[in-house]
Amino acid sequence: MDGLAKAAVSCKNVVKVYDTGGDKVVALGGIDLEICMGELMMLVGPSGCGKTTLISVIAGILDQDSGSCEVFGKDLLHMRSSEKLKFRAKNIGFVFQAFNLLPSLNAVENVSIPLIINGVKRQTAERQAANVLEQVGLGTRGKSLPSQLSGGQQQRVAIARALVHDPRLIVCDEPTSALDHETGHNVMELLRQVALHRDRALVIVTHDARIFSFADRIAQMDDGHIEKVVDSAEDL
Amino acid sequence: MLPKYTLPLLAAGGFAFGVYTVVNGNQPVPVAQPVAEPANSPFPTFIAGSGIVEAKSQNISIGTPLGGIVLQVAVKVGDMVKAGDILFRIDDREALAELGVRKANLARSKAAVGEAEASAIDTKTLLELIEAVTDRRAISTEDLDRRRNAHLLAKARLESARAQVLQTEAELASTQTTLDRLVVRAPVAGKVLQVNIRPGEFAPAGVGTSALMVLGNLDQLHIRVDIDENDAWRFRKEGNAVAYLRGNRQFKTDLKLVWVEPYVIPKRSLTGDSTERVDTRVLQALYSFNRATLPAYVGQQMDVFIEAPDADSAQPPMHQPDQK
Amino acid sequence: MNHIALKMLMGDRGKYLGIIMGLTFASLIMTQQPAIFVGLMMRTFSFISDLGLPDIWVMDPKVQFVDDIKPLQDTKLYRVRGVAGVKWAMPLYKGLLKARLENGTFQTCNVIGLDDATLIGGPPVMLVGKLKDLRRSDGVIVDIDGATDKLAKPPMVPGGKPTPLKIGDTLELNDNRAIVVGIAKTTKTFQSQPVIYTTYSRAVRYAPRERKMLSFVLVKAMPGEDIPTLTRRIRKATGLAAYSRKEFIDLTWNYFMKNTGIPITFGTSVALGFIVGAAIAGQTFYNFTLENLRQFGVLKAMGASNWTLLRMILLQAILVGSIGYGLGVGLTALFGYATRNTILAFKFPWQLLAFGGAGVTLICIFAAIISIRKVIKLEPAIVFKG
Repeated sequence: MDGLAKAAVSCKNVVKVYDTGGDKVVALGGIDLEICMGELMMLVGPSGCGKTTLISVIAGILDQDSGSCEVFGKDLLHMRSSEKLKFRAKNIGFVFQAFNLLPSLNAVENVSIPLIINGVKRQTAERQAANVLEQVGLGTRGKSLPSQLSGGQQQRVAIARALVHDPRLIVCDEPTSALDHETGHNVMELLRQVALHRDRALVIVTHDARIFSFADRIAQMDDGHIEKVVDSAEDL
Repeated sequence: MLPKYTLPLLAAGGFAFGVYTVVNGNQPVPVAQPVAEPANSPFPTFIAGSGIVEAKSQNISIGTPLGGIVLQVAVKVGDMVKAGDILFRIDDREALAELGVRKANLARSKAAVGEAEASAIDTKTLLELIEAVTDRRAISTEDLDRRRNAHLLAKARLESARAQVLQTEAELASTQTTLDRLVVRAPVAGKVLQVNIRPGEFAPAGVGTSALMVLGNLDQLHIRVDIDENDAWRFRKEGNAVAYLRGNRQFKTDLKLVWVEPYVIPKRSLTGDSTERVDTRVLQALYSFNRATLPAYVGQQMDVFIEAPDADSAQPPMHQPDQK
Repeated sequence: MNHIALKMLMGDRGKYLGIIMGLTFASLIMTQQPAIFVGLMMRTFSFISDLGLPDIWVMDPKVQFVDDIKPLQDTKLYRVRGVAGVKWAMPLYKGLLKARLENGTFQTCNVIGLDDATLIGGPPVMLVGKLKDLRRSDGVIVDIDGATDKLAKPPMVPGGKPTPLKIGDTLELNDNRAIVVGIAKTTKTFQSQPVIYTTYSRAVRYAPRERKMLSFVLVKAMPGEDIPTLTRRIRKATGLAAYSRKEFIDLTWNYFMKNTGIPITFGTSVALGFIVGAAIAGQTFYNFTLENLRQFGVLKAMGASNWTLLRMILLQAILVGSIGYGLGVGLTALFGYATRNTILAFKFPWQLLAFGGAGVTLICIFAAIISIRKVIKLEPAIVFKG
């Protein structure tokens, strides 16, 4: 299977303008970007360059104003919202900067959420979630509440949650910025080892230069444009 | 830390307690049952009235023609009396004393008659003697006239004495009557219902507040039924009537109309109070009943139902209620 | 998702308890206050409802409520008795008379005179003695509240407990001697005066002399007789007012509703309870949702539909609603239980249970709606903002 050649995400001239009380802010000014299966793509750039907007569009939780963005060959813009929801629930995993774990749910329950959204029964979902937790090295902390876990552990739980329903695209928003260097490093290793494989693409938004080395490709953005796409951090 | 189920369990308990309170606190109040079943009319449409049992004779309040101290009461309450039986006597000493005087007067006037008779015979003899003399010369005309007059006078005296006897006899009879009047006798056969006098009391003549004695004929009792004047037009003589004893409706009796009082009277309150409170008038109907069917006492109140047409459909009766 | 919704709700103890407290409070006020109101209002006609036997009450047409006595002539009784369809009709005297107590004070009492023969209209429950004992001369039956409180004999020592009336004790009613032959339990009346039962003729003797004495005629309909038809017939035949028990209760109820401030007072406190409860619970619930907005956003980003989120919020609302309602109702019941032997009026009919439930439901719906609005309008993109 020619995985690398197959496009997971294909953006063409994506434009997104925010209207903030009269001032028009161009968040995305015609983005062209391809992300391939089996690839870990990093989006880097200064704050406000449009990285987050871009992954929101890619993840199907924000509609672009013009241009097309196809995810696994589906144009999300023209999809009915219920279908889009289903599509998202099935195909996309999320890792957030602030982890966004539900504080009242323990690790297993947090991890099982995507499965439950996809209609899996709770017991099955939690069993599966426990397995994934094992994979991320938290097999013993399944009953812990997020508040009882360290930042790194929380992010692992979040990664487990992004993985549990076996999505084809994982979108990570600053996964390491809330973590110290070593923990961030471990998390990135985990992402590469566990999350990445041939049938999955990872998009990571970050401005943490320490983790650039984990990327297959790096797209540098500024002012709503992609400056350049490079293969390693040294080329930036 | 509260266990997960504490609040829901508490809430469920609270709700259950609420339901319990609702169920428990809203039980219907028990219905107080009547001590005696009230009398029901056996007729579909009827007039209800209050009746009072009285003796057939109506209740006779015995009075005395002459006032005086009661000397003796001859009967007790409940005694059966025949007509003419002595009920009570009034002090008769004065009348007795007068009787003695009258008797003496009679004797005296009778004696006077004898005296007058003797005198008349005497004068008659003297007259006959002189009239027997045929020779008119032997006697004077004057002597003859005198003797004749004396005889006439003696005869008149005799008549007078006889009249005097009659008079004293009448006087004696009068006193005798007075004596009789001091003895009060039963006017009819009946039962003594009430005795309100005792020896030594003064029995006044005339209408008093209470009867000295009440006499009634209890062989046949009547029920006097008061019918509200507003319902009177619905009253039908031919309507059946039933009376129930107050306090026990097991005792009931069919009634037979005896008569209807022709005069509608102001209602006498039958609640037992003597004063009049009610400004309505009532038609009174008298019914008789078989005593054997009802252990009723004179004066007892009854609930009476008289069959009558419905207020809506009734036509006023064409005839007037008969008297007696 | 239900499990998640519940966990979310109960995870935040402070808010969870806050919402429940708000709802409990609302539910408490919305059941306890009306319960007192209903209790108070039911006392206005408790005399009627205590008298279960008669179907119809006949009285002067101008009577406005049960304590508004306009006596009738005694003969009216027989006129009523003569109406077709009447099984029986009995006189009833009801009046306020002064009883003189041993220490010389006067106490106004509600004197009820029952038909001498049948004693229809007697107290529902006899605690001591029998209703029949009224036939004894000068006999009266006193209600237990009056016997232990207002008519009780003054204490032997100052400050001591008064001695309750017992059988054989005498009372002085309008200078007449009355002997207690029984103690009855009656439902408290609005004025909470002692109730004295006696026979009609005795009551009339106790009462100040008037031309008319008959307060009510109690009527029982023939079996199968249609009550409304019969009341109409009685009205037509006698010119008096005839009400079925329900109608007379309504008449009394409406009089008190119209002519006293009771409904407004309690209506206000119920409304306040509702508003305050709605405000507290609604506000806390809304706050709770706002605070969890990010979590809802996460769920939304992960593909949870609006419908799913709506169901979650509804479930949360239903849960807190049920708990708050249950606790409130329980507290009200507890209140009723605690005050059952006091003078306080408390009546908890099932309608109040439903009323409280409806109120709490309304609050929850209101709270859920404003929260749901917020969640539905929520852009899942916020999850990417730090």
